[in-house]
Amino acid sequence: MEFAVSQILSGISLGGQYALIAIGYTMVYGILRLINFAHGDVFMIAGVLMVYMSASMPLYISIPAMIIFTVLLGFLIERAAYKPLRSAPRMSVMISAIGVSYLLQNLALYITGGQPKTYPRIPWISKTITIFGARTHVVTVVTPFLVIALVLILTLLIDKTKIGIAMRAVSKDFETSQLMGVKINTVISVTFIIGSFLAAVGSVLYFTNYPTVVPMSGAMPGLKAFVAAVFGGIGSIPGAVIGAFIIGICETLIKGTDYAIFSDAFTFALLIIILVVKPTGIFGEKTTDKV
Amino acid sequence: MSNNVLHLENVTMQFGGVVAVDNFSMDINEGEIVSLIGPNGAGKTTAFNCVTGVYEPTNGLVEFYGKPIVRNHPQGKMKKGYLGQNGDMYLGEVISQTPDEITKLGIARTFQNIRLWKSMTVFENVLLAKHMNAKQNVFSATFRTNKKEEERMRRETLELLKQQGLDKYKDELATSLPYGLQRRLEIARALAAEPKLLLLDEPAAGMNPQETEELTAFIRQIRDDYNITIFLIEHHMNLVMDISDRIYVIEFGKEIAHGLPKEIQKNPKVIDAYLGG
Amino acid sequence: MLNEKKGISRGAIITLMIVLVVCILTIVLENTINPNSLLFTVIRKAAVYSLVAVTMNLLNGFTGLFSLGQAGFMLLGAYTYAILTIPTDVRDSIYYLFGGAGFHFSTVSFFEGIIGDSGVAGFISMILGVLIAMLVGGIVAAIVAYLIGLPVLRLKSDYLAIATLGFAEILRAIFQWDKLGKVTNGANALRGYPTFADFNIKNAQGITVLRLSSFIPILFAGICILIIILLINSSYGRAFKAIRDDEVAAEAMGINLAKHKMMSFIISSFFAGVGGALFAMFASTVQAKTFTSAMTYEIFLIVVIGGIGSISGSCIASFLYIACSEWWLRFLDNTQYINGNQLPLFKNGFRMVVFSVVIMIIVLFFRTGMMGDKELSDLFNKKRRKKVKADE
Repeated sequence: MEFAVSQILSGISLGGQYALIAIGYTMVYGILRLINFAHGDVFMIAGVLMVYMSASMPLYISIPAMIIFTVLLGFLIERAAYKPLRSAPRMSVMISAIGVSYLLQNLALYITGGQPKTYPRIPWISKTITIFGARTHVVTVVTPFLVIALVLILTLLIDKTKIGIAMRAVSKDFETSQLMGVKINTVISVTFIIGSFLAAVGSVLYFTNYPTVVPMSGAMPGLKAFVAAVFGGIGSIPGAVIGAFIIGICETLIKGTDYAIFSDAFTFALLIIILVVKPTGIFGEKTTDKV
Repeated sequence: MSNNVLHLENVTMQFGGVVAVDNFSMDINEGEIVSLIGPNGAGKTTAFNCVTGVYEPTNGLVEFYGKPIVRNHPQGKMKKGYLGQNGDMYLGEVISQTPDEITKLGIARTFQNIRLWKSMTVFENVLLAKHMNAKQNVFSATFRTNKKEEERMRRETLELLKQQGLDKYKDELATSLPYGLQRRLEIARALAAEPKLLLLDEPAAGMNPQETEELTAFIRQIRDDYNITIFLIEHHMNLVMDISDRIYVIEFGKEIAHGLPKEIQKNPKVIDAYLGG
Repeated sequence: MLNEKKGISRGAIITLMIVLVVCILTIVLENTINPNSLLFTVIRKAAVYSLVAVTMNLLNGFTGLFSLGQAGFMLLGAYTYAILTIPTDVRDSIYYLFGGAGFHFSTVSFFEGIIGDSGVAGFISMILGVLIAMLVGGIVAAIVAYLIGLPVLRLKSDYLAIATLGFAEILRAIFQWDKLGKVTNGANALRGYPTFADFNIKNAQGITVLRLSSFIPILFAGICILIIILLINSSYGRAFKAIRDDEVAAEAMGINLAKHKMMSFIISSFFAGVGGALFAMFASTVQAKTFTSAMTYEIFLIVVIGGIGSISGSCIASFLYIACSEWWLRFLDNTQYINGNQLPLFKNGFRMVVFSVVIMIIVLFFRTGMMGDKELSDLFNKKRRKKVKADE
């Protein structure tokens, strides 16, 4: 019983962390139709930044500073690597994304010297508590609530603000919105800023549970978050969040069995099943091709 | 009466709640040039796509030389939501084929917005239409044991290009040709598939009057040279009236008239649809 | 193009001669200069990567299928090759963690049993065993590709990419599963099978008389690439290109999309499997954790640098890529001094950073890669055409 509770709790928490990354994927895909392969690595860089900044600054400065730098990184990646390819074929942009991912990983390898770096302890979330007899960290309990709060704010932002309306317009029809005077570049930048911000928050929660950061730390969570986004219906924020929770919980449950080695594979099996059965995901909208 | 080539019977195509083609029937006989006209958005291209296998009609039957090639009745979600007529006429066997299968039966087409293979030369564009009927497999083609077949395809392609006056451009990229010639090339490519029925989707779109006139002669020429039947969709009234043996007119997916060009020109419903719409 | 005119074009002949010169140079150099030079590591790895890059180009560049499963098919080929060729007598020692091997057949030992296991007979047995195992490796990859292709080839561009990437990850997990340890050796490495070094010809005293360990990978990869080139220039290759250019038009002209896409996918995977076997021979150990998505990305970047849709581009890019990452940029990883002052930045890992920046520059500013969709032979043919014009 205690084991089950702790498994489910950490599954929900992991799902929440994936959700924060998945939103970045789903929003970028919704607007640019681009799988931003570098997003997982932005998340990893956020972890590396935190390691180095917390070494010289107190947490109440280093956390906000880390978030700001991560957001800046996301913004710069878009401006440097994706914006010049706006009119290029979609494949070129995806290649660029793979290139950025490769660059960020090698950069992290260079900075860390290939050594796993210990993630700083953040006192008020890495405390141990007991719930229903299961011992766990505060972060496990805090994550789902934080995720839900952030998603609510984000939904409000998209529904009510001017930039939110612009985002929805662009994701519906890129060209027409441009003709209607929507400032495409601003909308895209804001999308990347929001995505990177959430990835930075996610990294704090994620790495508190996994004590070390390595250059490849972002690759797997990134891919899984993307799967979550596809699972929920790419372009849909609630879809991405629900997909992420399902994947997080399933993964944790599998990790507790003899088939632990398949915990990653399971995610991809789920992806292939959903793509074959319902390619638009749970909440996705149908698109039609015109001949 | 000569042989019936294409027979459409109660073809209905419904997208969600929109009936794009509504209970449309028509016949084309061997050697005829038949046109389908109608205002923008009347469902002409959709009707075309139901024949070529791009769409599976919601209901209805299409026969080619007396043999059913497409047959469907409202199924799945459409069972309840079907808005057309004769929903229970074609129960039973469903026949549905992909565009390549339909083409292999002897129906070739061109596209409204020219679709040539842009990285290939004029020669390769036409040559590839021979691919589907070639007696070869991937091994014989890779290891060049299909030499005779490959030579035959190349010879026939060159012949066809000569007949169409395109042979001097044969090594140019297809997309580097002027617009009018690209149209011609697309028709040549369709002819290379050795069809019995040729479907032309707005062949004169974007052409000036002189080019249109040339095209009219050209279409008539290929009908006579290759002994084929032609079914075309068109907007240019001059072309249509000049070339067609018979004309079908649709509006909002429904047939409003059919008959000889003279009859259509005088038909009040048609005049209304074009001028009133 | 190769088969455009009657006979073989001048460009093709020049290209073939260049390849021939490379082969001869490789053999001569390996037998004259230090055989442990990094040059030969680069040549071997580049040959293997050329093949895999070409298989990826066949899918991405020629058929327009954006697939990222190459590492998975390489894994299948590499494992099949290793499992089939490890000699029977060393098997149990390699699988010791699982209490010995669960599978005792070895193609090499099988032929040794028939032909003989020493001298020339032993050499021939080894070659036969290696060839058959490579072929089976390719076939296994092709069969798995067929099974994977059934559901995923219907997917559109980036969904196909992520689904194939996912399949490769699933394969990796399966091969690391300890329940299959008796066959795959779980997460541990397989070793002891014939490698490129075994192709060096030795005399009766066991002294190497002719080194072929760098020529053999070029030969094997070259044959496979040649077959792919023949395919691309055949009627089927044209059909693949038609699908890439315009799927709707291809279908309307009687090309069965499902069949042709599957064909391209299976053929590409077959050769990726053979490439995996070659990779196993190059690396001399096989371990599932090598075949990550990072490996696929690396191969994909090679294809991009060489030019999507250019076979010779992929080959040249493989060589440059491997040479830069393994050899020419090595100095960046070591501390450098000028006039006794230590230069900043130079330390372990700097090489890869510089390298990835260069790749980003290529991706952003030279989008067509080195060759675009041209081949080496086209370049030579063009030159001639220009000359003819000048003569007129």
